[in-house]
Formats: sequence, C-alpha cells, structure tokens
Amino acid sequence: MLVCTRMNEIPASVRILWGVTAFLGGGLLVLLLYRKSYRVFSTFFVYVLFDFLQCFVLYTSYRFWGFRSSVSSQIAWGTQGVVMTARAAAVAQICQRVLAEYRGVWALAKRLLILTAVVVLLYSWAIARGGWQFAVLNGHRGIELAIASVIVILLLFTRYYGIVVEPAVRVLTIGFFLYSSFYVLNDTILERWLLDYSRLWNLLGSSVMLASMLLWIWGLRERQPERAFEPEMLSDGIYHATAPEINARLRALNEHLGHFWNVERKRS
Amino acid sequence: MSLLFYSFFGLIGILLILFAWSVRVPGRPFRPSPENGEDESGCRHMTYLPQIRQAFAEADFDFLSKNTSREVLRRVRRERRSVALAYLAALRADFQSLLRMARAIAMLSPELAAIQEFERIRLTAKFAWQYQMIRWKLLAGSAPMPQLHGLSDLVSGLSVRIEAALKELGERAAAAAELASSANRRGLDAG
Repeated sequence: MLVCTRMNEIPASVRILWGVTAFLGGGLLVLLLYRKSYRVFSTFFVYVLFDFLQCFVLYTSYRFWGFRSSVSSQIAWGTQGVVMTARAAAVAQICQRVLAEYRGVWALAKRLLILTAVVVLLYSWAIARGGWQFAVLNGHRGIELAIASVIVILLLFTRYYGIVVEPAVRVLTIGFFLYSSFYVLNDTILERWLLDYSRLWNLLGSSVMLASMLLWIWGLRERQPERAFEPEMLSDGIYHATAPEINARLRALNEHLGHFWNVERKRS
Repeated sequence: MSLLFYSFFGLIGILLILFAWSVRVPGRPFRPSPENGEDESGCRHMTYLPQIRQAFAEADFDFLSKNTSREVLRRVRRERRSVALAYLAALRADFQSLLRMARAIAMLSPELAAIQEFERIRLTAKFAWQYQMIRWKLLAGSAPMPQLHGLSDLVSGLSVRIEAALKELGERAAAAAELASSANRRGLDAG
C-alpha cells in the first residue's frame, strides 16, 4: 500500500508515457534481434538495451524509495550516465558507418567531430550555472549538445561531399538529433525553474523519447545490409596534384567576380 | 544569466536550421554528359567572348549616348545588363563544375589536406556572397559594368590536360555514387 502511495507522486500521464516507451523499447529490441540488425548497429542495440533496463531500475527505485527521495535521484542520474555513454557510443558508430569507407574524408571528419564534441562540452560547462547540485544536469546537457552538434557536422560532411546516407541511418540520426536537441532545451529550462518545471520536464522528456522510439522502429523495420559498399579509392597523388590546382582556379574565378565588385565600389 | 540562458536556445536554433538543410535527400549525382562537356572545358564561353567584349565596349556606349535617342540608350543599357547577368551565370557554372570535380576527387582520395578543404569552403562562401550581391545590384538597376580584359585569360588559361583528367575523375565519382545508390537499394531489397 505504501508502495502504491509512493508511485502516486508521479503524474498518471508520465506513468503512462513511461509504460508505452518501455513497451516500444522492448519492441525495438525484438526487432533488432529478429532482423539481425544488432550486428550492424551493435552499439545502438546496447543503448536501447540499457535504456530498456533503466526503465525497470527506475520503476523499482521509485516504488521502494519514492519519486522525490535522494536515493532515487542518485539511481536515476547514475543510470542516466550509463545510458548517455551508450548513446554517445551509438552516435560514434553511426558516424563510422557513414564515413569510414571514404578513408580521406573519414580521417578529416573524425578529427573535426572530436574537436566539435570537446569544444561544445567545454562551452556548455563554462557557461553553465555554478554549484555542484547542477553538475549532473550540466553534464547531461553538455553531452546532449555535443551529440546534436556531432550529428549536424556529420550530415554537413555527407552533404558537402555527396556521400549517400542509408535510409535507416538517416532515420537513426533524426531520432538522436530530435532527442538530444530537445533535452538541451528541457535541461536549460529545468536549471532555471527547477522544482516548478520538474513535472513538465518528465512529461516532455518522455514524449520526445517516445517519438524517437517510433522513428527508430520505423527506420529499422527492414533488414540492414552488413556492410555499406566499398568505393574504389584513387591513388594518393591525384588529390595532392589536383587539389591546389583546382583551388587556384576557384580563387581566379573569385578574383574575376571581385572585379565586378571593385567596379561597383569605385563608382560609389 | 539571461544571455547564457538564451544562448542555448540560439545554439539549438542554428543546429536545427543546419540539420534541416543537411538531412534533405540530395538531388541526383552529377553525371558528365556530352551537352555539358563543353561547359566543363570552358569552350562554350570562349566562343562568345568577342560578342561579350563588344557588348561591354565603353566606346560603343559613348557613341550611342551622343547619337541616339534615350529610348535606344535605355534598351542598350538593358541588354548590357542581361549580358552581365549571363556572364555572371557562366562564371558561376564554371565555379560549380570545378567544385563538383574537387569534391568527387576528395571523396575518393585516401588522404585529404585539411588546409585545401577549408580553403575551398572559404572560397565557396566568398563566391556565393559576391555573386548574390552583384546579381541583386544588377537586377535592381545599379549595375556595375566591368571591363572584361581578364576574361580571355581566365577561359583560355584552362589547361586541357587537367580538364581531361578531372572529367575522367568526375565520371569515376559519378559511377561510384551510382554504385553506392544501387548497393543501398540492393540492401533494402534483400531485407
């Protein structure tokens, strides 16, 4: 009876959403196993598994210690750290899946993606609200912002170089971006209004997780190929011979265009 | 506090715009064809070079301003503007075809030089900015009418050997992109 009272601290809408999300998480795990997609997206599978297990750990802790107890809070943020790490690993694997076959682009992109993640984390930490009570929240927001930035950089790379992204990977990135960008905003509002916002924070967070789950299930409904195709690479010398030459030509075209510009400036 | 608070919203807004732009499925991959092959080497532009130069000749315009009506002068000005716009478009086409080739080569190269890649991005941004500004000014009527002495150097300075090599590489890149698309399709069909 005491247990039931403690669970009542959580709004019914949030409890329902958690239930549906846990159910969908289970469904996604079954789908990944049934379609053997766990071989292709192994870290994504681990992430979904951890997220699914977290639901049960949290449910148990809320039943025994209550929603607002410090023990439950520690368990919630502790498990969230594990899930967050798994999510970051899943995004890293997606980046590798998309770009690794293009060795030159991947070598350049990898450095840029790591640099972006580090800079965003530092920025997020530097401008966050002080005090250790916000440390976990700031860490969560920083990692989510880094994930969102890395996804955007990855997609910019694919667009710039005309690299084809598999439909399933595209849907996975949309789900991750949706979740991460939303949580940055959600955590920022929570940091400011804390207790007043905590109920809505849970409700909105669960809703966006639900949306991401639905997207991922839809994206992974079919079996995924084990490997993306392997392009035939050019010899190393071609790039080093032509890239400066092409850039010089582009610069010449720019200067020519600048001629128009200078005429206009002289007139004015 | 407010500034920092809103900075997260601003950042997410920028990321959302970039995400929406980059996640769109790109158009069909570039395929060199006999029709645009001439453009790749710049031959088509060179063919019309004397006419373009003539259209911009200052002496012709001075002569007309002294000996014809305002109506004729206006028409000449209008036609000069359309020639300038066509010239701009030709420059842009040259720029874009070079960019396509550069990307195709970079995509299939085992090692890239970051300096060259970022330099190309910088040049692209600069070109896009200048192109749009000049185009708007031309369309608005405040047209800069340049001397085109450098144009012949630009067009005739193209090295046939490099162009041929780049064209071949462009074809290989297009074939690779086609292979990627068909591999993806096969993967989905197998599922």
